[in-house]
Amino acid sequence: MTEPLLRADKLTKHFVTPRTGQTVRAVNGVSFEMFAGQTVGMVGESGSGKSTVGRMVVRLLKPTQGSVTFRGRDIAPLRDRAVRALRSDLQMVFQDPWSALNPRMRVKRIIQEPLLLHSKLSDSERSDRVEEIARSVRLNTDLLTRFPGELSGGQLQRVCIARAIATSPGLIVLDEPTSSLDLSVRAGILDLLQELREETGAAMLFISHDLGTVRLVSDHILVLYLGHIVESGPMAKVFDEPAHPYTQTLLSAHLPADPRTQLHRHLLEGEIPSPIDMPPGCPFSTRCPLVRDECRTALPPMVDIGDGAQRAACIRIREGSNQVPL
Amino acid sequence: MSLLQVRDLHTHFISRNLDNEIRVAKALNGVSFEVSRGEVLGLVGETGAGKSLTAYSVMDLLKPPAKVVGGTVEFDGRNLRDLEAEDMNKLRGSEIAMVVQNPRSSLDPLTRVGEQLIRVHTAHTDTSESAARARAIEKLGAVGIPAPEQRMRAWPHELSGGMAQRVLIAMALMNEPKLIIADEPTTGLDVTVQAQILDLLRELVVTHNVAAMVITHDLGIVAHYCNRMAVMFAGRIVETGDVETVFDNPSHPYTRTLIASTPERLKEGKQKVLGGGAPPNLYNLPPGCHYVERCRFADESCNKPLSLDQVGDGHFAMCTRLDAVREGWPS
Ligand SMILES: Nc1ncnc2c1ncn2[C@@H]1O[C@H](COP(=O)(O)OP(=O)(O)OP(=O)(O)O)[C@@H](O)[C@H]1O
Ligand SMILES: Nc1ncnc2c1ncn2[C@@H]1O[C@H](COP(=O)(O)OP(=O)(O)O)[C@@H](O)[C@H]1O
Ligand code: SF4
Ligand code: SF4
Ligand SMILES: [Mg+2]
Ligand SMILES: [Mg+2]
Repeated sequence: MTEPLLRADKLTKHFVTPRTGQTVRAVNGVSFEMFAGQTVGMVGESGSGKSTVGRMVVRLLKPTQGSVTFRGRDIAPLRDRAVRALRSDLQMVFQDPWSALNPRMRVKRIIQEPLLLHSKLSDSERSDRVEEIARSVRLNTDLLTRFPGELSGGQLQRVCIARAIATSPGLIVLDEPTSSLDLSVRAGILDLLQELREETGAAMLFISHDLGTVRLVSDHILVLYLGHIVESGPMAKVFDEPAHPYTQTLLSAHLPADPRTQLHRHLLEGEIPSPIDMPPGCPFSTRCPLVRDECRTALPPMVDIGDGAQRAACIRIREGSNQVPL
Repeated sequence: MSLLQVRDLHTHFISRNLDNEIRVAKALNGVSFEVSRGEVLGLVGETGAGKSLTAYSVMDLLKPPAKVVGGTVEFDGRNLRDLEAEDMNKLRGSEIAMVVQNPRSSLDPLTRVGEQLIRVHTAHTDTSESAARARAIEKLGAVGIPAPEQRMRAWPHELSGGMAQRVLIAMALMNEPKLIIADEPTTGLDVTVQAQILDLLRELVVTHNVAAMVITHDLGIVAHYCNRMAVMFAGRIVETGDVETVFDNPSHPYTRTLIASTPERLKEGKQKVLGGGAPPNLYNLPPGCHYVERCRFADESCNKPLSLDQVGDGHFAMCTRLDAVREGWPS
């Protein structure tokens, strides 16, 4: 068995709101592994903790508890200076390319900044490398002398990706990288990510609430609900045979862009509860169509499904009564 | 007869540059479409195509420097462009209701939800306050808000995004509108909540026989909630028809690219989509087809004025080289 590139173990993040002093339980004991060259898709409704997990993985945020073992070393307790040295190996791309880039820096500068910090290239080598990276994200090199304000959303997101891959990181977290882009532009970026994965062998954590996109790019899926992973498994397994009642209803609400696909839906009522008032027991118990009394007593553990590649946290799985009627 | 018929609508942004010369951004360039009672029309297109502007032009809600400079908007037998401002005000919020993307921003933060619903009704009718109150409670219930009587006293900030969108739909229903225009009604909402809102909208169309126009980026919404669709590019409808017809037989190169870019088609992996491109400059549009710079089928003939031509049953497209496109499109 190959060692994972990254192992998150019982990762937890609680925020205390400054005004009211309430505790926001954003992430509550999340564990998963990522291997080199693998794309892991993380899905869940807004507020489920996706971005918070992503930011802890690249250590933009310090976990409250738990560990993040990256290349064999726990990076969770590292101090800021040690984290900075890791930056070239752990990168992040954000949802909104407009606010992610410094508007007063030319594109060329933006892409070469990480190289200045993390490599000892000569000026001309660096210049060549910037052009090479621009070409690999299919950004016309004419655009290198422009400012961000002079580029389209799709071009800006390519710049963000170029900046992220400049130092050949081992792992990239992409937080909703295509959500703000138009469909045809989005398709180009997804295509690019696919190509980069093959070229660079980087592991990618792809965060998105768009199930169609996640399905397209991921090898492995993590389903988050109220800061808990409720299901994880190989992409095809989770999409074709979702085990957790939440995954089932989430997938059933998805609208494929094809009028001929028949929908089989079970519509959930209400909305995701606030992570300030966590329900006791199963986090999904307030909306679950299959809820019963014992669901509210203890947090259901993750159980293996089949050979264990797929796992889900619902007490009904063992007895086989976990199918939500659609 | 359609309830709403928009013909050749032109909307421009007219401003002056630093040298005091007049500059015109031609944002809508001959938009034509219609919507009937009992149907949902989906208006799609990339950002900046003019979808919202179409809605605001129809509703006469444009702010300067935007101005409708040509075309007709016929609604229920009247040309709305001839109406006095006062009559248009009456119509808006009663016969035509609009639901916008960011629901919280269109609620008054300092007024309780119930009060806002009541006001919408009393402003347009002679109903008594108590009758309007009863009606507001009824509508809140109808849009699936639990304990509507208590919710009447809620402040907008106490509502989640999904709840706020329901309140806005309830508000749209207060005066039994004939037409609902929804601009990205579920963008930013979670899929499970999105499904609840769209089901509600469709139910209204079917049971109350209203006409609806839904503006969206999401072809999944179009595929499952709309009867007909209109594809917009740079201020024009470039293709329109029944949803299934357009998905089965997209004709215009832009529509073809759009549909080929959906995750569902990408998954089939049949072809590589050539990503988008910049939208044309609205201050200096090409003389003929607006898609010319991004189109691989463009030739001389594309620089002539175009029309929306019939390509099938109720199916229209605006392209002079449809045959060449059909033959040359990678399959
Ligand atoms: N003051 C202005 N001067 C010139 N052009 C403008 C002005 N305001 C808006 N526009 C242009 O009008 C066009 C139509 O805008 P509209 O808001 O209708 O787009 P949209 O299709 O709704 O896009 P989105 O999907 O992003 O909501 C855009 O190209 C926009 O840049
Ligand atoms: N800095 C912060 N302070 C307080 N609460 C936060 C902070 N960052 C995130 N949260 C809360 O944590 C929860 C998870 O947020 P997030 O990870 O952004 O979710 P997602 O990306 O899945 O939408 C949300 O309830 C959010 O409001
Ligand atoms: S543990 Fe109970 S509440 Fe949770 S998903 Fe399973 S059945 Fe539903
Ligand atoms: S072939 Fe010509 S008319 Fe048709 S879309 Fe392309 S540029 Fe426009
Ligand atoms: Mg997020
Ligand atoms: Mg808009």
